[in-house]
Amino acid sequence: MIEAKDVGLRYPDGTLALKNIDLRVEPGEIVYITGSNGSGKTSLLKLFMGAEYPTMGSLKVLGQPVVKGQAAAIRQLRMAIGPVFQEFRLIKGRTAMENVMLGMRFLDIPPGQLKKNAGDALVKVGLEHKAHSLVENLSWGESQRVAIARAVARKPALILADEPTGNLDKDNALKILELLTSFKDKKTAVIITTHAPHLIEGEKDAKHIRMEKGSMNWERLG
Amino acid sequence: MKNFFYNAAYFLKEAKTVIRLNLLSNIFSLFSTGLIFFILAMVISCWWISAQVVKAIQEEAEINVFFDESIGDGDVMQLLGKIKGIEGVREVRVVAEDEAYDRMAAILGKEARVLEFFDDNPFSPFIEVKIYLEKMDTVLEELGTLTGIQHVRDNRAVLDRLRNIAGVLNSLGYLVVAAVGISTLVIISHIIRLGIFNNQEPIDTLRLLGAPEFFIAFPFLLVGLLLTLGGGMLAAALAAFALKHVYIQMAGPLPFIPLPPREALVSGMIIVVMSLSAILGIVGSLFGLSSAKSN
Ligand SMILES: Nc1ncnc2c1ncn2[C@@H]1O[C@H](COP(=O)(O)OP(=O)(O)O)[C@@H](O)[C@H]1O
Ligand SMILES: [Mg+2]
Repeated sequence: MIEAKDVGLRYPDGTLALKNIDLRVEPGEIVYITGSNGSGKTSLLKLFMGAEYPTMGSLKVLGQPVVKGQAAAIRQLRMAIGPVFQEFRLIKGRTAMENVMLGMRFLDIPPGQLKKNAGDALVKVGLEHKAHSLVENLSWGESQRVAIARAVARKPALILADEPTGNLDKDNALKILELLTSFKDKKTAVIITTHAPHLIEGEKDAKHIRMEKGSMNWERLG
Repeated sequence: MKNFFYNAAYFLKEAKTVIRLNLLSNIFSLFSTGLIFFILAMVISCWWISAQVVKAIQEEAEINVFFDESIGDGDVMQLLGKIKGIEGVREVRVVAEDEAYDRMAAILGKEARVLEFFDDNPFSPFIEVKIYLEKMDTVLEELGTLTGIQHVRDNRAVLDRLRNIAGVLNSLGYLVVAAVGISTLVIISHIIRLGIFNNQEPIDTLRLLGAPEFFIAFPFLLVGLLLTLGGGMLAAALAAFALKHVYIQMAGPLPFIPLPPREALVSGMIIVVMSLSAILGIVGSLFGLSSAKSN
C-alpha cells in the first residue's frame, strides 16, 4: 500500500525535512507516527498524498509512484485517500453536511448515494445533530469530527490523520484515536501522527514509527 | 462527469458564494459590462439602421432628364424609349408639371405655402430615370449622346456623401466592437482572478482531496458567465428602451428616413448582445482562470 525506499525531502528553501525513509505499510494496518514538532511528521504525510514529491529515493502509494509530471495519476491517488488535516481545512460558509458531501462530489459515487454516505459518516463521528450547522459555528472538537467524517465518507483505502489529538486532554485524545482506528478494515490502512507518544502506549495492534529530525525508527508497542 | 447535473446546484451555490465574498467588485463589474454592452447595442443598432438606409437610398439613385419643352409628346415618348434601352436603367417615366408641384408640396409640408407666391407652376416636366447606382457613370455618358435633352440632374453627390458617412459609421462600429470585446475580457478576467485569489484556500483543499481542475474551475466560469449575461440583459433592456425613444423622436421630424421595423431591430439586437456577452463571459473567465493558474 505504501512502499518507501530511502526517501528524502528537501524543501525549496533548503530545509532537509526527511531523510532515509524506508517503510512498508500494508492494507489493514494502523501506523502511528510520533515525534516532536518539526521532526517531519506532516512532511511525511504530504508525501503520501502527493502534496510534495520526494527529492530523493522512491515512493509508491497505492501502486502509484509519487513523482512530478503525473498530475492526473496523482489526482487519482488523492481521490483514494482520506486526509484529516492538522488545521482541518473545512470550507467556510458551508454546513457540516455540505463539507462532507463536497469531499465526495467528484468521486465515482452514484449521486443518490452522496447524501446517505455523508449522513452515515456524520452519525459515525457522533455529529448528526450538527449536520446543518455552518462549520464556522462549530467548536474545535466538532470541526475535527466533521473533518474526520469528510475523510471517511469517501471510503478511502488510506486514512491519513495529522495530529488529530492536538491539544486535547488525554481522555478526549484517546477517544479520537479510538474513532479513527475504528475505520481500519481489511482493505483500509490508517496512519496517524501525534507529538504525544504516551497516548499510544499499550496499543498492541498497531505499528509505531518515531521521527527524529527527519529520520525514522520503528518502535515496539505493547 | 456523470455527477455533473447532480452537482449543478452545488456549482450555482458556489458561484453565489464567490460573488458574495466580493459583492461590491462584482456589482461594479456587472454595471460596467452592462454599460459597455449598452454602447455596443446602440452601435449595432445604428449599424443596422444605416445599412438599411444606405440600401434604401441606393434604390433612390436617379437621374432627372429635362427636355426642350418645345418638343412634342411623340418626341418625348421616343426619348423615353431610347433612355429605357440604356444599360443600367431600371425604370423610366415622365413626371408632369403638376406632379412635380405636388411632390415639392409634399416635401415642404407646412412650408408649402411658399409655393402659393408663384402665379404659375414654377416646375417643368422631366423624365425620371431610376438607375442602378453603380451604373451612374455609363448612364450619364449615354444620355450625353442623345438629342433633345436640355440638361440632366443627378443625385450622385448626395448619395456618395451618404455612402461615405455610412462607411465611417461602419469602421467606427468595428472599433467600438473591438473596444467592447477587449474591455469585457479585461473586466471579467480580473474579477475571476480576484475570486480565485479570495478562494485560494478552499481551492487548495479541493486539490488535496483530488478534485478535478474542471470541478474546481466551473463555479468561476459560471460567475463570469452570470456577470456578463447580467450585464448583457441590463444593456439589452436599456437599449430597447433607448431605441423606442429614438424611433419616436425620428418618426416626427424625419418621416422619410426608411428605418427598419423596430421589433425586428430590437430582437436582433438582443440576440447579438446576449450571445456576445455569453461568449465574452466564458472567454474572459477562461483568461482569468489561466492567468490565476500561471501565478
Ligand atoms: N513548506 C516548507 N518549506 C520549508 N520548510 C518546511 C516546509 N514545511 C515544513 N518545513 C520544515 O520541515 C521540517 C519538518 O516540518 P513538519 O513536517 O511540519 O514537522 P512536524 O509535522 O513533525 O511538526 C521543519 O523544520 C519545518 O520547518
Ligand atoms: Mg505537523
